[in-house]
Amino acid sequence: MTDINFRDDGLVPLWNKVQGGERLTLQDGLTLFGTNDIISLGKMAATVQQRMSGDAVYFALNQKIEPSNICVLSCRFCNFAMKADQPAAYDMSLDEILGLIKPEIREVHITGSLNPQRPWNYYLEMIRQIKEHYPQTDVKAFTAVELDFFRKKFKLPLQEILAQLKAAGLDTLPGGGAEVFSERIRQELYPRKIGAKTWLDIHKAAHRFGIRSNATLLYGHIETYEERLEHLIQLRAAQDETGGFLAFIPLAFQPGTTGIKAPHEFTSAIDDLKTIAISRLMLDNFPHIKAYWVMLTEDVAAAALNFGADDLEGTVGGEKIAHDAGATSPMSLAKERLINIIRDAGKIAVERDGLYRPLEVHGEGIVGKIPYLNSVPFYNYFEKGRFKLLPAAPRYLGMLSARGRIIAAPFSLMDYLAQEDKLELMDYCIASYEQVRSIMFFSRFPWSELQGKNIGIIDDTATSVHLLRVLLEKKYGVQANLTRMAGGNQDYRNFDAVLLIGDEALRANKTGLPGFTAVFDLAVEWFDWQKMPFVFAVWAVQKSLPLGMKKELSTALRKALAREEKEHPSLLSTLHGRRIGLTQAETAAYLGGITFRLGEAEKAAIKVFRKLALPVPDKRDNSLKSKGKK
Amino acid sequence: MISPAIQAKVKNGERISRSEGIRLLRDAELLDLAEMANLVRFRHNPCPRVTFVVDTNPNYTNICENDCTFCAFYRRRGDKDAYSATVSEMIINFQAAAAKGVTTILLQGGVNAELPFDYFLEMVKKTIAEVPAVHPHFYSAPEIMGMSRLSGLSIHEVLQQLWDAGLRTLPGGGAEVLSDRVKKKISPRKGSTADWLAVMREAHRIGFKSTATMMYGHLEREQDILAHLESIRNLQDEYGGFTAFVPWSFKPDNSPLGKIIPQRATPTRYLRIIALARIFLDNFPHIQSSWFSEGKKIGQLALYFGADDFGGTLLEENVHAAANYLNQTNVNECITMIHAAGFDAAERNTCYEIRKVFLKTNPYRQS
Repeated sequence: MTDINFRDDGLVPLWNKVQGGERLTLQDGLTLFGTNDIISLGKMAATVQQRMSGDAVYFALNQKIEPSNICVLSCRFCNFAMKADQPAAYDMSLDEILGLIKPEIREVHITGSLNPQRPWNYYLEMIRQIKEHYPQTDVKAFTAVELDFFRKKFKLPLQEILAQLKAAGLDTLPGGGAEVFSERIRQELYPRKIGAKTWLDIHKAAHRFGIRSNATLLYGHIETYEERLEHLIQLRAAQDETGGFLAFIPLAFQPGTTGIKAPHEFTSAIDDLKTIAISRLMLDNFPHIKAYWVMLTEDVAAAALNFGADDLEGTVGGEKIAHDAGATSPMSLAKERLINIIRDAGKIAVERDGLYRPLEVHGEGIVGKIPYLNSVPFYNYFEKGRFKLLPAAPRYLGMLSARGRIIAAPFSLMDYLAQEDKLELMDYCIASYEQVRSIMFFSRFPWSELQGKNIGIIDDTATSVHLLRVLLEKKYGVQANLTRMAGGNQDYRNFDAVLLIGDEALRANKTGLPGFTAVFDLAVEWFDWQKMPFVFAVWAVQKSLPLGMKKELSTALRKALAREEKEHPSLLSTLHGRRIGLTQAETAAYLGGITFRLGEAEKAAIKVFRKLALPVPDKRDNSLKSKGKK
Repeated sequence: MISPAIQAKVKNGERISRSEGIRLLRDAELLDLAEMANLVRFRHNPCPRVTFVVDTNPNYTNICENDCTFCAFYRRRGDKDAYSATVSEMIINFQAAAAKGVTTILLQGGVNAELPFDYFLEMVKKTIAEVPAVHPHFYSAPEIMGMSRLSGLSIHEVLQQLWDAGLRTLPGGGAEVLSDRVKKKISPRKGSTADWLAVMREAHRIGFKSTATMMYGHLEREQDILAHLESIRNLQDEYGGFTAFVPWSFKPDNSPLGKIIPQRATPTRYLRIIALARIFLDNFPHIQSSWFSEGKKIGQLALYFGADDFGGTLLEENVHAAANYLNQTNVNECITMIHAAGFDAAERNTCYEIRKVFLKTNPYRQS
């Protein structure tokens, strides 16, 4: 994108703040809502979007399930809820619910009414049976409003509710029921629904339990801009505490026959896009902003992909709550239509699972981006040209490359070795001669006592796992059980040791993990043993790519790295470090300890590691027990 | 990325070439394109104001001999729902519309061999005599070609007689995409690119004003779109007769072409084309956002991508339903939408003269 030519000079100070990583205040938000310079506002948000999610726009093959419309509440803005004796009332059996799910569905999204008729076991069974019949499907279920209803109706503590749902297979919580965190509005429109504090407490409790969630805002009715912004600021503070929110979803109010607004008085497209863009700018700690096309219309959602939104929801299928209130969008969108909309917006269409891991991508010229601090020097000043950037954990970049979906990436070394026949090394890598601090092993025991012990590993990269195994077996002569942990799982109690990588490792290294008294930097372990650098990742490009593209990529990387090194550490690196709790000096030291150029010493080290790691073909799959997640 | 050279040209008000236009359409990031288009929009129309016209769009016949593959409207003679209205019937329709405040009648119809040239002249004369409150905005280029072919009069004579009857403006329909490669496939009997341009050139030479349209989102490629824009830009250099450019997307439902192109072009495509048109058509005073054909919300967005006009309050495909649909709500809703998008609204006539301004009281409604 070119620099912003502001028509409204009032935005310039805010743009300086955003670029400097300074948080926007409520007053700043009001200035943004007040501007007519929509395009500049959009470009500000799009710049942040690019930083956070590259060119990826996510969607899911998902199915909305609304098990019942019988509700004990009577919220004024709702056209969906019924009392049990009304003719349109419905209450689905488990078989009816299962009947809605097609085999290709990868996420079900269950929200409904507060139905007084069903026992607790109905909800647990719902999730269990979905997981049993459709194991490839992630389950996003029950808003905080429903969870609060469960705990009161079934007289169970929230912890117990969450534990049982998780055991049944619940993956994430949807973000509904937040409405607007304003007590004034709650009193007026939904006095019997939970308020801001309960909603936030439930989400924070879920996050601490390893269940991630979304957050919403229902806007475009009687709320003021201040109330919208206060809502965002409360969400931002909660995210600072737990980091558990995945996406923020502004929901445009559908007037229907609610009487709050005339039936044709939908939000304006400009208000919709402002709200998307301002959300992206205010919520600097939310990974994703979702353009929920069901309520925005396909048109606004498509435009939103250039105004800060990186998520288009999905195929949805059978949504009723918004449509009962007059939503004019279709009930579902075909996958091909979603892909076309995303590609026409200039983005990569990424089919995601419940945790935003890429299952499939659609687009050309896709270059992988490792979203850790150790890779930012390649990307901060990367001039994209014909390329598009896809952020994903190394493991997923390896998988996508194996299927020919991406043309280049910094690959985890093991992934490169597995695809040597079709990948060509470039001159860049992520290597370390000593401490790397981002591949950390936290143990309750010294190395020699790990025989037969249970080690949890983050499954983001194969290389660090192989390095750990080589060290355990070849350096220390012990065999242990390695078990994959789900991403974002912070519950390490059942493990004797855990292997963390990337930003997760940097963060834990700083704070320490209680109970894990022995802490090892695997790069140091390797160096002490082999007196060689350790190469964690190498840049490689598809051999079949035209020479011109290879050169263009190589030049882009060379320039980006040179500029980054000149500024060492660059502002953007410092900001990234700050997000994971590092000071500027710590970020500088960390990046200073990494070798980004693939020299002879690094190539020699790769050879040594290959011999140690790959003597027996793929032994890891025998001992790698998958726990919980696929 | 937009190359600095193109950026500089646009900034300095220099004309961009066809190949530069292709690059903009294909490669520029959406908001970069919007930013440039906005710059040009305010250069042409400095007021933060969006115009609209209170109009209706009836059709005198749906019988047509052109068999265009994208059309779901036309019928063959003898079809059960084929119709052809008399001049008096149309006048009654116009009077009803005028009574509801309509100022412009955009009248088009099929190319129907049973209608003599006198029918068209009489329609103009009677409208002017009997419905003085409305401005007749009649007959697109393919209809003019049809009149010429069926009457044996030259294009010039047809247009001159219509002018003498009192017609002053023509709608810009029937252009589709001005590329013979495309036109051969979607509208082989509607005349060539040169034919359409010849009608418009002759009309502008006589003194008519017209719009120029483009229907995209089917078989055209980027170079076809740019060829279209260049053709109308060149013609505009000659007489300056175009008032506005109006693009819309092909709607696939119920047409033979829709079986090949089942998906409507994406909303982003519309915004890109609006923006590109504003940048490329440096001699067009206005770019129209078609909220009735493209959707209300995308219509609002287009106002930030170079469009300064909101089109008509009513585009009605069916002559009988037309009057019933027109009421004050449409006008008010139109004004509300323009205000909510952050602009003052202004009612204009067919020639883009302002009739009445509706200042936005509070651009962003806030309770």
